[in-house]
Amino acid sequence: MFSSHTARQFSAYHHEELSPEESRRVAEHLIGCTRCRAEFEEIKLGVKLAKHLPLIAAPDSIWPKIETALRQHPAGASMPVRYLKPSLAFAAGFMLLFVAGAFWLRLHRSEARPSWEVARLNGAPRINSNRINDTGKLAVGQWLETDDTSRARIDIGNVGQVEIDPNTRVRLVATQPTEHRLELARGRMSARISAPPKLFFVNTPSAVAEDLGCAYTLEVDDAGNSLLRVTLGWVALQLKDRESLVPADAACATRPGVGPGTPYFEDASELFRAALAKLDFEPNDTQWSKIPALDIVLHQARLRDTMTLWYLLSRVDENDRGRVYTRMAELVPPPNGVTRDGALRLDQEMLKRWRDRIDSDSHSLPEAMRDFLGSIRSGIRRHLNQASAK
Amino acid sequence: MLEQMAAIREQPTVNEPIDRQTIAACQQGDREALRLLFEAYRDRVYSIAIYSLGGDQTAAADVTQQVFVKLMTRISQFRGNSEFTTWLHRLVVNCCLDERRKQRRFVPLAELGLIKASRGPISQATNYARRELAGHVQAAIAELRPKLRWPILLKYVEGLSYEEIAAVLGCSKGTVASRLNRGHKALAKKLGHLSGQFVIGE
Repeated sequence: MFSSHTARQFSAYHHEELSPEESRRVAEHLIGCTRCRAEFEEIKLGVKLAKHLPLIAAPDSIWPKIETALRQHPAGASMPVRYLKPSLAFAAGFMLLFVAGAFWLRLHRSEARPSWEVARLNGAPRINSNRINDTGKLAVGQWLETDDTSRARIDIGNVGQVEIDPNTRVRLVATQPTEHRLELARGRMSARISAPPKLFFVNTPSAVAEDLGCAYTLEVDDAGNSLLRVTLGWVALQLKDRESLVPADAACATRPGVGPGTPYFEDASELFRAALAKLDFEPNDTQWSKIPALDIVLHQARLRDTMTLWYLLSRVDENDRGRVYTRMAELVPPPNGVTRDGALRLDQEMLKRWRDRIDSDSHSLPEAMRDFLGSIRSGIRRHLNQASAK
Repeated sequence: MLEQMAAIREQPTVNEPIDRQTIAACQQGDREALRLLFEAYRDRVYSIAIYSLGGDQTAAADVTQQVFVKLMTRISQFRGNSEFTTWLHRLVVNCCLDERRKQRRFVPLAELGLIKASRGPISQATNYARRELAGHVQAAIAELRPKLRWPILLKYVEGLSYEEIAAVLGCSKGTVASRLNRGHKALAKKLGHLSGQFVIGE
């Protein structure tokens, strides 16, 4: 996996036996991974120790023995031919058959090596550096690469299709009945998946995209940052225990070492999206705005953006959780049985019920109507609060 | 200490291109040419043999002798399609494996009295520390499983690249990388307690 631990490559990295790209990956991973740094130190100690194997001088008595042996078997003389006993001949014949069988099996297996069909759409896409004509096959472990003028389409049997945009590099990691997995090292791909959920995965340097029955585009820049935009269905982005479920019309950014950020609907205000990015990836940047990013997000949030606030409830500092709850409750009141205390202590059952309500409200009405309804709800709630305060 | 160790290891490396004329002369049965090859490789072949045979000096000397006799009797088969060093190292590995099969027993590490003298002056204390550390490393390597031991020996005694080691052992470069990784980790685990002494020793 692109972003996984790279410990298996440490000796080759230390001995400069990796390609420049592989070395860069390992170096980048080492910067951000404490566990791997410790493991690399262990490898370096092993290398240092192995370098202390001294050469041992061969005794001078060996050469005279060699000369004596050569006098008995002159140089260039072929070894005497020994005829095989019948039992040995049988054993040899059996071995020959065995080797031939093993060779046939190996040949047969390599022919059946899992692969995906690739069709050239533009330019000259390459598989493992070899240009493909109109079609080609991408086998497990192979890279498909496009330059700035080429595009390609991958057909994944009855799973779906993936289009590869220019300047993109993808690798087929696995294709099995229970899992089809690509690695997107850089560039952009669009996937349209018709298989059941949780069958198609894409590894990126900062998260894994898991298809939940959908269509989406995924792009990765040179720094390993990625952006997922979902056009149909749902996609889950994961890195370790951090997960974001991204619905249609929404997007989600990821960063190496951080993982997926908070999903947001793409029609949210520019200010909302910018403040959310600050909250997710640069929470300590006080120079960006005099108004705290969370205040901007809460102020700019529409009914539909409650989906984003739902994630923030568990991701913001505990002291800010109450303000997020209040704004969420204004936009989509919590269903029966979901209490403020329960939501603030992140009761999973309550959060799930609220999320269902949010999804239902966000998707059952046209956008304009949803916002209108949200504003009415907010007004009524404010009015009731004021009345109860009096 | 590292400089002193480096001095011990200062020998023509096996990666240097072998003089084709010398090989051609060996193919013609020229004993002087064989002597040249012997002088160039004797310590490396012997070292590999002694490390892979658990320190048995007698067996290592026998293997070294066999390697050069076989080299001379079979060199007519060398077509130059592969590197001469790869061909030679396959011969060394096969002879060691044959010997090991014959022994079918573990031979304790021999005394390390044969370490080649360094070219610079070494104090007695440093010399002792170096020998002690080298002894620990050899013992740890002797305990490794053969499939982890061979890549270590070919890398550090012969100075081969991963590709060359793969060619000698008949496996992929990735397998060599993986086995070296496991070998290094095993050494670090076995001898991690010496890391302090190691730094002081340097």
